[in-house]
Amino acid sequence: MTATDVTTPQIQIPGVSVEQDTDTEDLVVNIGPQHPSTHGVLRLITTLNGEVVKEMEAVIGYLHRSKEKMAEGVSYFQYQPTIDRVEYLSSFYDHYAYVTAVEKIAGLKVPKRVEYIRMITMELNRITSHLLWFGTFLLDLGATSPFFYAFRDREEIFKIFEDITGARMMYNYYRFGGLNNDITPGWLDKVRYFCDWFPDRLDEYEAIVNKNPIVMDRTIGLGLIDRELCMKYGVTGPNIRAAGVPMDLRKTNPYCCYDEIEFDVPVGERGDVYDRYIVRMKEMRESLRIIRQAIDKIPGGDAAEVEKLRQAVAAKEEAAKAKAKETGEKPEPVPPINPDFEFKGQKINLMTYKPPAGEAYTTVESPRGLLGCYMISDGTPKAARVKWRGASFSNLAALPELMIGQLYPDLMAIFGSLDVIMPEVDR
Amino acid sequence: MSQDQNKNSQVFEGMANIGKGMATVMKHFGRKPVTLEYPEVMPDLSTRFHGRLALLTKSDGTDLCIGCKACAKVCPCNDLIQIEMHRDEDKKPVIDQFTIDKGRCIFCGNCTEVCPVDCIKMLPDFELSGYSREELVLDKHDLTLTGEESDEWRQIRGMNPHVE
Repeated sequence: MTATDVTTPQIQIPGVSVEQDTDTEDLVVNIGPQHPSTHGVLRLITTLNGEVVKEMEAVIGYLHRSKEKMAEGVSYFQYQPTIDRVEYLSSFYDHYAYVTAVEKIAGLKVPKRVEYIRMITMELNRITSHLLWFGTFLLDLGATSPFFYAFRDREEIFKIFEDITGARMMYNYYRFGGLNNDITPGWLDKVRYFCDWFPDRLDEYEAIVNKNPIVMDRTIGLGLIDRELCMKYGVTGPNIRAAGVPMDLRKTNPYCCYDEIEFDVPVGERGDVYDRYIVRMKEMRESLRIIRQAIDKIPGGDAAEVEKLRQAVAAKEEAAKAKAKETGEKPEPVPPINPDFEFKGQKINLMTYKPPAGEAYTTVESPRGLLGCYMISDGTPKAARVKWRGASFSNLAALPELMIGQLYPDLMAIFGSLDVIMPEVDR
Repeated sequence: MSQDQNKNSQVFEGMANIGKGMATVMKHFGRKPVTLEYPEVMPDLSTRFHGRLALLTKSDGTDLCIGCKACAKVCPCNDLIQIEMHRDEDKKPVIDQFTIDKGRCIFCGNCTEVCPVDCIKMLPDFELSGYSREELVLDKHDLTLTGEESDEWRQIRGMNPHVE
């Protein structure tokens, strides 16, 4: 036996070339409207030649709930809770896009404290989203344990979210020009504790998966995405970064306070499934880095300290009033607390709130890629049009081209690595 | 035979990495389970938790609601909150009926935010199932808390005590 026989075992049938001479019909397999490992309801009509995919067509729309039309029938504030349901794994991002669109039209000023809290919650949300992806992606590949580990650690972040928003997944926390409520006293310490605790868990995940020969064999060199394909279909997020393009809105068009924070944009080399995995794992560490800096820089600091300042101002005001009563003069104006320390900007009546006529398009770098919200306001309490640009839709669009010439068993590895979530595709 | 050696080293490296991964998995044997034995052990919920809807009352147990219907206006589910009211001789509002269908409620918390008298609130209570759909429709009697409960709740949430 020579060395070549060991490395490339081949079954040779005399007189028959596997490529051309097998006179077989193509087989159309309908990977029905539920299976693709249940990332959502998706139907893939696949034409197979043997085990090789010749053609693939994705049929979407099973989860269509007319979220865009819904915005035209209800008031701005009434529509907000339903945004959570557009993309339920990272709904802070959808809220951010929606709220900033209204703020852009109305020209509302947002206090800096709000921006920082938004940044911390969004980055934590990125970790939950990537953790769920990590669990389900490896479940698609056949590994079960990482799924449980990821969900266990995700729960810790949900507890942090529950403290301030009151919900685990459907947050409904951001408001036009502010937040629903300030953070709770001691919340920042909880987040800091999480930031110290979580890297050990990430090390554990990477010890199990990163150099595992089974994972490497199944993912390296598979589902190659290059720059041209990304431009053709509008693929964004970790998928384009894995292809070596450092496209990250947080760096290129800084929103929130990302320009005050130091962080790197991890990029891949080959653009295969393995690179997409590595990029997402690195992104979680970068998110932790952003959160740590944001906690140190947040204006006002802990909620208890801001509350003390508020009470001091209220006490001063009362003293000034009492003094004015004695002397019979107007009360002296008391300087309010720094407006950057507030959790709400301009006071607005949410029930009847209507921004002036105008239009705005806002984008945010969601865990899945570029998420956009285009809004037209005609000056009435109801939006004239709201259009969502979901990253999942574009990422899914690239799947049929990626699958051509690939083996059918690799479908789940490639589809899973794109991190598509169906409710966002169909809306 | 360099290719054979290469292959061998690859196999050993792969085995070493699988061993490293398995050792990490084995670590979990020594750890405490994270699951909660739910009916016996109740989860520790935040005071802001979006759970059961309730109407707070004044300290003496009389209605706090003024029947402004702000909660019904911001509710994203159509006609979920229904309020019937009239005004007595002193033009003071009297709430005849206050109905919430919790089977259709999405627990977004919009109603609690716009209430001008801080009457409608969400309690950290998540055991809301019933045996029929009719059971899920709560009327005023089901929703209203007693005066003591309301005071306690106001204290927990750090709200100002009710004053006339």
